[in-house]
Amino acid sequence: MSNYYPVLVLIGLLISVISAYRKAPFYNYIGIQITIYGLLKSAALIMPPLPAQVIVMYVAMSLFAFLIYFSIREETFRAFLEPMRSVLADRDKKLQRVVLVFIAIPLFAGYITYAKVRPSYKPPVTGRIVHPEPPQEIDFRGKTISILGLENPLRKETDRLKDHLEAGKKIYYQNCFFCHGDDLDGRGLFEQAFNPPPLPFRGTDTIAQLPESFVFWRIAKGWKALPPGSHPWDSAMPSFEDFLTEDQIWQVILFIYEATGNKPRTWE
Amino acid sequence: MAGKDIKKGVIKGILKLSLILGCGFVLLFLLKSIVPGPTEDGYRFFPLIGSRVWVWIIAQLHLNFAAFVLGVPIFAVTMEFLGWRRTDERLDRIAYDFTKLFTLAYTLTAIMGAILMVSLPLLYPRFIGHMMKILGPTWWAYILFMYGEVFVCYYYFYSWHRMKERKGLHVLIGVLLNVMGGILLLVTSSWVGYMTTPGGVSETGELLNRWHAINTYMWIPLSLHRLFANVVFGAGIAAAYAAFRFITAATEDEKAYYDWMGYTSAMISIGFSLILPGIGYLLGVEIYSFNEQMGIQLMGGFYAWLWVMQAILIGAILFLVNYYLWISLNKMPGGERYFRYVKFLFIVVFLGYIIWLTPHSVALSLEEARRIGSYHPALGKLGVMASKNTAVIVSYMATFISFAIFRMSNKEPTVSWARAGHILRALIIVVSSVVVLGIGVYSYMVPSVTRVRVLSPIQFGIFFLAILALYILDSRMYKNARIIGEPRWGKMPERSQYALIGITVTFTWLMGMMGYMRSGGRMYWHVYGIMKDTSPDAYLPAHGVAAVIVTTVTLLFFFMIASVFWSVMKLEKFSEKRRSD
Repeated sequence: MSNYYPVLVLIGLLISVISAYRKAPFYNYIGIQITIYGLLKSAALIMPPLPAQVIVMYVAMSLFAFLIYFSIREETFRAFLEPMRSVLADRDKKLQRVVLVFIAIPLFAGYITYAKVRPSYKPPVTGRIVHPEPPQEIDFRGKTISILGLENPLRKETDRLKDHLEAGKKIYYQNCFFCHGDDLDGRGLFEQAFNPPPLPFRGTDTIAQLPESFVFWRIAKGWKALPPGSHPWDSAMPSFEDFLTEDQIWQVILFIYEATGNKPRTWE
Repeated sequence: MAGKDIKKGVIKGILKLSLILGCGFVLLFLLKSIVPGPTEDGYRFFPLIGSRVWVWIIAQLHLNFAAFVLGVPIFAVTMEFLGWRRTDERLDRIAYDFTKLFTLAYTLTAIMGAILMVSLPLLYPRFIGHMMKILGPTWWAYILFMYGEVFVCYYYFYSWHRMKERKGLHVLIGVLLNVMGGILLLVTSSWVGYMTTPGGVSETGELLNRWHAINTYMWIPLSLHRLFANVVFGAGIAAAYAAFRFITAATEDEKAYYDWMGYTSAMISIGFSLILPGIGYLLGVEIYSFNEQMGIQLMGGFYAWLWVMQAILIGAILFLVNYYLWISLNKMPGGERYFRYVKFLFIVVFLGYIIWLTPHSVALSLEEARRIGSYHPALGKLGVMASKNTAVIVSYMATFISFAIFRMSNKEPTVSWARAGHILRALIIVVSSVVVLGIGVYSYMVPSVTRVRVLSPIQFGIFFLAILALYILDSRMYKNARIIGEPRWGKMPERSQYALIGITVTFTWLMGMMGYMRSGGRMYWHVYGIMKDTSPDAYLPAHGVAAVIVTTVTLLFFFMIASVFWSVMKLEKFSEKRRSD
């Protein structure tokens, strides 16, 4: 379907260019909106599709912004309103008026109502929080660990850092790579089985945005500890406190940062 | 006679405040003896809507009025000072009009404050008991300064005409009024600061050091943020008042005056709003420094969606401000020369708006989640602080340029170096924008701490330096400039006035939502980490519920402020009638 959206972009552009040439701002406005919608939908050709919610936000913003643009100058705004005024008030536009007011608008309203109330078997859209808030402290195998201000203790052992990294690498390939991938890009063997898919560690927008204490909490507690806003059922991350020791978790954290070239978020 | 009027006015003000406070205390005393005692853990329950919603509505209404009566005097005095130094009657009139507004609004502020004063100890006796134990003396200081402020405020208003020949002294009284207002703001911010980022107490809530309980992480950044936001808000309300008077004006003279008043107020509002992102940033850093978990909760966790909403609303405000300035070019002789730049400014503000409202956390269907994964590559890049800070700075820069264009649109520079000046202006704009953009891109490649503590402040710094340089350059270049024609004040389409009203309504709503967020940062604590909220309301309401409450508060506030406007108009008519009789 997304293959056809570039055509919509072209149609919108054509309307816009002709309207600009004929000094018809209302139709230019329509053309611009079609172009923008087509562009947003066409993005799916080069990247994962934009979520519907984001498209709605962008389109609403564009409707608002361009309405403002076309009402800056008095003569442009008058020309912008002219088609609407003409259809609603001119004697010779009776047919268009009847079609628009008594057929098109009620039909459109009816369709919107129908679309809203028709039964759907799709699960509802849920808001996801990308950075769930961590607790102040956690219970790790009976030991209370304060997450606030927690630092990776192994980073201080500079003489043994290489050993820790090696151990972390081993732990990663024994436990994590099935989901998070051998290239740490979130494309492991089980990737296709999960929805949403496992996190990639590469790039600047996942672990690079997080302090190590946060990563420790996520690995130790997994999906069970996620707050309601992050929908625990949207994650398949196991609680690794059942399988790994505290030091082993820190070792694997060292490894994922080192292997991806990312640095943990720090405040000091 | 006039001296008697001043005395009568001041006594009236003091009596009014005493009466409202007295009624509050009596009501509190009566209600305490009538209603059943608190629960074991120290709560009473407000019927139907619950204690939290009741206190929320009253506190927000009180805060809105307080913001108005603290913000408006700052620029009323500034206007009076400028009017006095430049011997401009129009500036003096605008200052007087504003003074009328805030003097009348004091009564409503005090009534809301008194209702809050009754509600809090009645509904949350244990919590208020704790607050009095820790910060009790500040409450008495608050009462003292409130009386001081009311005294100075009424004196300032009623002595306006009497002290016409002693303007310097009158301006000084206005300054004193603002000092009082500033102290009140510091006191109230210390209470909120203590509740959110407490200090000076033991883990069990015993007082260790009162000064530390006052001087918390949040205290000064919150006070500064509130101070500037109050001016933005107060000026915004004044602009909305002017817009309303413009729309209902019967004569061309009135239209011209209120058009000018609306423009002046709106520009003060926007001018001060330039500082807000920087101070808001400082406040955020302080919250993170106090408690990282609270920072994440506010910025990236439960409240992440509110930042998207904030971006939408501030983006809309910026758009409306630019719109007002662009429309204003129509009334400037020579303004048409600058319309060709408007489309470029529009593109910059539009792109900035797109980036700013891009969410990081998104609502996804299961199918979308499957196809997109946890992070969308475009949203992951645009929905973070690095890009958003850059976008907001560039948008503000475009807004400043719109303002500069409006100011210079009816002038021709006569200095010999005008051409070089134009080139220099273009260079300042291009170079500063490129550097801000470059730093924005570089921000992606450095640790967060570098971005937050070094690069973002540099971006804001470059922006302020650039607008300062542009302001100085234009002042020099357009000194003794040839005036093509005077602005045709009053020749504005009505839609421009609705933009001013829209800005103020949006800002009021935004203030409410941000207040909900700031308060929600404490989660299930009355005093974070010290005193738990064990009432049935100890949960975070959904954003939708919060939006309904804040919308109700905004509507109530505008209904009440409309009554102030109406009173001012009635007063004017009454004075006119008395004069003509």
